[in-house]
Amino acid sequence: MQAVLQNTSRYLSGGRSGHLIVIGLLVVMFIVGAVLSDRFATSNNLLNVYEQSAGLAFVSLGQTLTILTGGIDLSVGSIISLVAMLTSGLINGNPAMVLPVVLFVLVLGTLIGVMNGAAVVVTGVHPLIVTLGTGAIVQGVALLYGLGPTGKVPLNFDTFAYGRIAGKISIGATIAIALFLLVWFILRYTRSGRYVYAVGDDPHAARLMALPHKRVLIGVYAASGFFAALTAVYLVSRFGVGQPYTGANYTLASITPVVVGGTMLAGGRGGVIGTLLGVYLVSLLNNVLNFMDVSSHFQLVVQGLVIILAVSVYVEKRRVA
Amino acid sequence: MMSVSAMPEKDATSGAFVHTKLMPILTHYGIFLFLVLAILVSGLITPAFVSRDNISNMLMQLAPLGIVVIGQAFVILVRGLDLSVASVMATSAVVATSFSGQNGDAAWVVLAAISVGIATGLINGLLVTKRNVSPFLATLATMIVLQGLRFAWTQGAPSGNVPPFFRSIGTGAFYGVPYNVVIMFIVAIVLAIVLHRSAFGRRMYITGGNPVTAKLVGISSDRITIAAYVICGALAAGAGLILSGFVGVVDNFVGRGFELDSIVAAVMGGVALSGGRGTVAGALAGAAILVVISNAVVMFGLPVQLQTIIKGVVIVVAASLYVNRSH
Repeated sequence: MQAVLQNTSRYLSGGRSGHLIVIGLLVVMFIVGAVLSDRFATSNNLLNVYEQSAGLAFVSLGQTLTILTGGIDLSVGSIISLVAMLTSGLINGNPAMVLPVVLFVLVLGTLIGVMNGAAVVVTGVHPLIVTLGTGAIVQGVALLYGLGPTGKVPLNFDTFAYGRIAGKISIGATIAIALFLLVWFILRYTRSGRYVYAVGDDPHAARLMALPHKRVLIGVYAASGFFAALTAVYLVSRFGVGQPYTGANYTLASITPVVVGGTMLAGGRGGVIGTLLGVYLVSLLNNVLNFMDVSSHFQLVVQGLVIILAVSVYVEKRRVA
Repeated sequence: MMSVSAMPEKDATSGAFVHTKLMPILTHYGIFLFLVLAILVSGLITPAFVSRDNISNMLMQLAPLGIVVIGQAFVILVRGLDLSVASVMATSAVVATSFSGQNGDAAWVVLAAISVGIATGLINGLLVTKRNVSPFLATLATMIVLQGLRFAWTQGAPSGNVPPFFRSIGTGAFYGVPYNVVIMFIVAIVLAIVLHRSAFGRRMYITGGNPVTAKLVGISSDRITIAAYVICGALAAGAGLILSGFVGVVDNFVGRGFELDSIVAAVMGGVALSGGRGTVAGALAGAAILVVISNAVVMFGLPVQLQTIIKGVVIVVAASLYVNRSH
């Protein structure tokens, strides 16, 4: 037990030097942006980048947890789509329904996550295949609920996405930071948090030491489902309505910040702070590319190259260590 | 559904018979039994399902997926995964529209498209073997890069035409057998011989089954792995051409969903994600089941959305049956 905890803390500190790479890239990106345009380094632009990072931040927070256990959640996109449709569909413009519906969909997302985790634990099938399957099911249910944008939300529902503290600091993005810090604390200082690393680092050893690995797995997929649902509520707040493909791009997009932030797909190494930096890196990168007048098409190319670059760097580190 | 064929042996009282006779048969041929059963049941519910037209229709839908799933099976056999196949398919289809659109260019189109597939496979293979990048991320990255290049090249919407030659390959038939199905079976037979009868195939199984053993017996597992990704890329490019001929219209997303469908079909067909286990015939049967399910839902007059839901259920159930058997 002690050994596992020591190991995991060693990995955590290894993760911190990984943070330096991402921070370095953020600084480089900032300098490039500032050189490119006078409007880049203004508080206005940077606050916008901050505001726009919220959606990606929520979903990748949950994804980090599943990847830390050596799994992955490919159903988040479908969960976002279904929950987004239910949010605007059930509220349907009625202010009195906002609170109950938001609570309901957050619980629903969590329950879908619990089912994902249970399916992983019970069947023993690789999470990639399990969540691919459950993702297809959830997407099908979303399409049964409606084939296009469904329902509407009250006007002030956009506070979550567009509200600003003192007219400057985005509320949604700040909530995201708070949640990242909360999860970071849980991972770092609670027993359950250490178990997440232990299960991901060596599932066999975790089982031998009688760690509650089944509960840990169900827990991380439940968290992933919850954060996917939260992303959905955010997106409805931002766009005013949910439609059956609201979350389609988020499944793969949620993985990029995680791996760029230094969390290994093999599990057991990395952490949420790296992911948060990864989210900011992706957001800042898109912003800089906009200033460079790079077409949105080439932005994809750059994103793909960043993934290759990032994973190559981290692999190199592992070999040296 | 799977349980229809799997249930009886659980109720049987003679356990020895079950374990020595029935289980091996189910393990090896369960997927084929299920395919036959699915076709029979669907035919009983809706006779039109087994009509000549509908079977020909399903075979035409099967051809592109069948070709991709064989490549996917090769990659999974060596413990890999290829998420870039759909992106390769779309890119190959866009390549097909980037020439004059006349039959005179058909050979160049094939050459250019297959080259794109081979190049992508080579990059995937090199990233996985030489840079030790996880297959999931390596192929995810090439998928995104290809998509971006495609968008930039076409400025969002491809405009050219597919040479009529591909149109006739994609939709024409030879004495009632669609051309693209003939191509699929030729590809399947050739690659089945390569996999199950050649030294290369044997090396693939050893590499996927146990890389350490592979190294000890002097197999360059890097080279075998790269070859698997290259074969997969080339097949995906070919499938993209066939699909563009079948659909007739090319957009930037030809083959959308094929990356997941091909993985699912391969896994359903008994290709183990842990590597070293699986056959070409099994993978094809997995693909056929996906096509049968999609088609049956439409023929039964059920809501099309059920396609996705049933597919999801079948994936998880089928995959879990394989896991339990291996224990």
